[in-house]
Amino acid sequence: MDEFQEILQDFLVESFELVEKLDEDLVELESNPEDLELLNGIFRVAHTVKGASSFLNFDTLTHLTHHMEDVLNKARHGDLVITPDIMDVILESIDLMKALLETIRDTSADEGIDVSACVARLDKISNGEAPSAAVEPEVEDVVEETPAEEEELDYDNMDPDEIEAEIERLLAQRQSEDKAKREAKIAAGEDVPTMPEVDEEQEKEEPKAEKKEEKVEVKKASVPVKKEQKSTKEKPKAAAPTKRAATTVEQTIRVDVKRLDHLMNLIGELVLAKNRLMKINEDVEERYEGEEFLEELTQVVSIVSLVTTDLQIAVMKTRMLPIGKVFNKFPRMIRDLSRELNKKIELVLAGEDTELDKSLVEEIGDPLVHIIRNSCDHGIETPEERVAKGKPEGGTISLKAYNEGNQIVIQIDDDGKGLDPEMLKEKSFEKGIITEKEMDTMSDKEAYSLIFRPGFSTAAAVTSVSGRGVGMDVVKTNIEKLNGMIDIESEVNVGTTIKLKIPLTLAIIQALLVGVQEEHYAIPLASVLETVRISKDEIYTVEGKSVMRLRDDVLSLVHIGDIFEVERILDASEHAYVVVLGLGTSKLGLIVDTLVGQEEIVIKSLGDYLKGIEGVAGATIRGDGGVTLIVDVAALMTMAKDVKTTALTTPEEGNSALKEKTKPSDYTVMIVDDSKTDRTIMRKALEPMGLTLVEAADGQEALNILKSGDYNFDAMLVDIEMPRMDGYTLATEIKKYNRYKNLPLIAVTSRTSKSDRMRGVESGMVEYITKPYSADYLASVVQRNVNFKAEFL
Amino acid sequence: MSDKLKQIIDKQSEQKDSIVEQLDDVVQLVGFMIGDEEYAVPILAIQEIIKPFSWTRVPQVPNYVLGVFNLRGAVIPLLDLRMKFGLPPKKQGEDTRFIVMRHGDDVAGFVIDRLTMAIRLKKENIGAAPDAVAGDDSAIEGVGKQADKIITILKVNKLLERTF
Repeated sequence: MDEFQEILQDFLVESFELVEKLDEDLVELESNPEDLELLNGIFRVAHTVKGASSFLNFDTLTHLTHHMEDVLNKARHGDLVITPDIMDVILESIDLMKALLETIRDTSADEGIDVSACVARLDKISNGEAPSAAVEPEVEDVVEETPAEEEELDYDNMDPDEIEAEIERLLAQRQSEDKAKREAKIAAGEDVPTMPEVDEEQEKEEPKAEKKEEKVEVKKASVPVKKEQKSTKEKPKAAAPTKRAATTVEQTIRVDVKRLDHLMNLIGELVLAKNRLMKINEDVEERYEGEEFLEELTQVVSIVSLVTTDLQIAVMKTRMLPIGKVFNKFPRMIRDLSRELNKKIELVLAGEDTELDKSLVEEIGDPLVHIIRNSCDHGIETPEERVAKGKPEGGTISLKAYNEGNQIVIQIDDDGKGLDPEMLKEKSFEKGIITEKEMDTMSDKEAYSLIFRPGFSTAAAVTSVSGRGVGMDVVKTNIEKLNGMIDIESEVNVGTTIKLKIPLTLAIIQALLVGVQEEHYAIPLASVLETVRISKDEIYTVEGKSVMRLRDDVLSLVHIGDIFEVERILDASEHAYVVVLGLGTSKLGLIVDTLVGQEEIVIKSLGDYLKGIEGVAGATIRGDGGVTLIVDVAALMTMAKDVKTTALTTPEEGNSALKEKTKPSDYTVMIVDDSKTDRTIMRKALEPMGLTLVEAADGQEALNILKSGDYNFDAMLVDIEMPRMDGYTLATEIKKYNRYKNLPLIAVTSRTSKSDRMRGVESGMVEYITKPYSADYLASVVQRNVNFKAEFL
Repeated sequence: MSDKLKQIIDKQSEQKDSIVEQLDDVVQLVGFMIGDEEYAVPILAIQEIIKPFSWTRVPQVPNYVLGVFNLRGAVIPLLDLRMKFGLPPKKQGEDTRFIVMRHGDDVAGFVIDRLTMAIRLKKENIGAAPDAVAGDDSAIEGVGKQADKIITILKVNKLLERTF
């Protein structure tokens, strides 16, 4: 059973691949019905599927493909000219074949789909042009003829041109032979059914006889087909020797997607470790400047980071698929649509080789279908309208893909009637999508993006193609899900251009790290349009919302702290940074305190317990081992609408109501030094005064004690040289807090140079005591700085 | 000779059986303090016990969800059991630990005040939870009786269940 399953899987994969290519080939065939190579290719697909399905006992599929094969075989032999009507039937049968394959994939059986109608039509075609029962023997003749001729001519030693000529000659020869035979038959008065109606009548009249005939036909047909296979195998060999050679050189293996996913995860871990390593290297560099081993370390780190980056790209590439896989289905779609809508539409594809991640290829199909349908239905005018406007009768839709930096751009152009912003606005106003005020202030670009609103439709009537006002909304949500952007340009009566910009991959992305208070957040760089530094008075409030002027546009603003409920403990500075986010067609300014930088991040899920937190797309692990949340830009845009502005009004301090000092122990001093001895010396010097003393072994610990708010410090004694966080950094950190702005910091250090003192002053130290010092001196400096009341002495 | 050997083998297998029996009867738990109460969870549900380190706050969650932290490359939620049990928050101190518990695919870290010890309890000494707090929604598995005290045994799957 397992073996069967395995074969079945292979069969399905192969068949789907074949069928995918089939659509494209068939449409091309319609415009180029004489192309023998194409016909051969298509015939082979039907034949392969037939062979495999009969082996696997899928009778319905075998039955269908067998009849397809019949028709195609005739076409291949020139007995049948492919007209659009015939093509419709062939395409229908291919659709059925796809449906059958899907049923097989889902249920491992090919039941439940009725193919008899289609088979009957296929039969009609194969009978319609030439009576198959009579023709079959001929085919056999031909088969016997061809190998005989092949023996005479040494194809392998011919150059391609000669082979072409030879094939053409053979073809022409056979066509004329067939014609002659057919004419002879007609002349001989044989019954040649040409009208389908006649067929039906016959069926009614003598159904039993017809059935018998069919059976016989099938049996007869299967015999020559087998022989035919041999000759087809030889023919392409002769016709396209160069192509053969190319395909044998290109070696591929099929790999389970799960393995690739696993590989991608591992790479993700590696990238994180690399980031960490680089961070550590930076720290070490600072600490051991000028040491010899440092250079070596730096070299190794840079090699590791280089290789990791290359490795990441290499693995990403293995997951890449050409976008042509998605594009392939559109020629067929356009063909069907143009027949359905009675329009003449030509599709031009470009950049099918552009590659993007497998997961994206899967996601991008639907949005494109909707956009192209929309262009066909609403964009391209009817031939009469087009002629009246002085345009060529047939419209053109071009679909192209190309790389732009770290993004893939998929561009859909049509030369249809374009979007009329005024009309869009009015329509949306009528449907209650926008208010009258919005209608007046809306720019053209904003008006274009109205087509993505749910419930919006410009079509006067709902057709089977579009007009339900759902499709474009789907486009927007899908593209946003991929962190992509949509850009629309349009000119009335000239055409519309829609650009979809999508990041190359989903798992590892470039992000902009921003800081708010003490927290960091990562914003996918693909959604960041620009960053600007503004001062507070550039922010205006309109109807309770913050806005700013960005060149010619008005940009609505929201503070990241309001979105993520960040507690405001640090002093807000006069300046702020605005990260301009763009997603789909909408824009939003996100106010942050600091811009940290750009970093490559690996997206990790928050897990089941915390999933679904609005505004958070996931988390990543940073170089320092900490976790940083990733902003979900799409959710942020919706959340921003409901957020009230509070961010820019600094809360008034009422908490630092200083208590009256009534005894010496009300004074609290923190001693920060990494040496236990030094701390004890300081403690001994200050204990006689009766102060409350708190000790910390390094800057980080000191900062944590400060943040905890357990004590109200009156002064701090800070050593400069400390592990984890040195005295200067500590001072700078402390000065960021509102409530500690005026806390006296006293440096106690053995560093005595002038530059050290300068640095101390810059970082906000008020006094500078050099080691060694006398206990009295230390006590007096502390007394002065804490405003020690004389009566306690 | 062979009789002797057989006897020994028999004896050994008897012993084995009794060991298995013993294992079946005993539940191994890890005890910890939250506030003034001692709680315990089955030792097999514990992935590891670590000293506290920094975590990242997550917005829009109840106050007992402190945030997420990095456990060797995995992002794991951190919950404060004090706050979950309705006790006032307390500063993390020397004895504070994160207990990382796992149930199926669900993993989370829990902040506890202090570890007590690993406990071996006979099954017969574990009583059902009092009626008032028993039921499917209860996070209490049962009550373990020891010589001098009783311990509340918690249901790990309930602790790991999202309730907001």
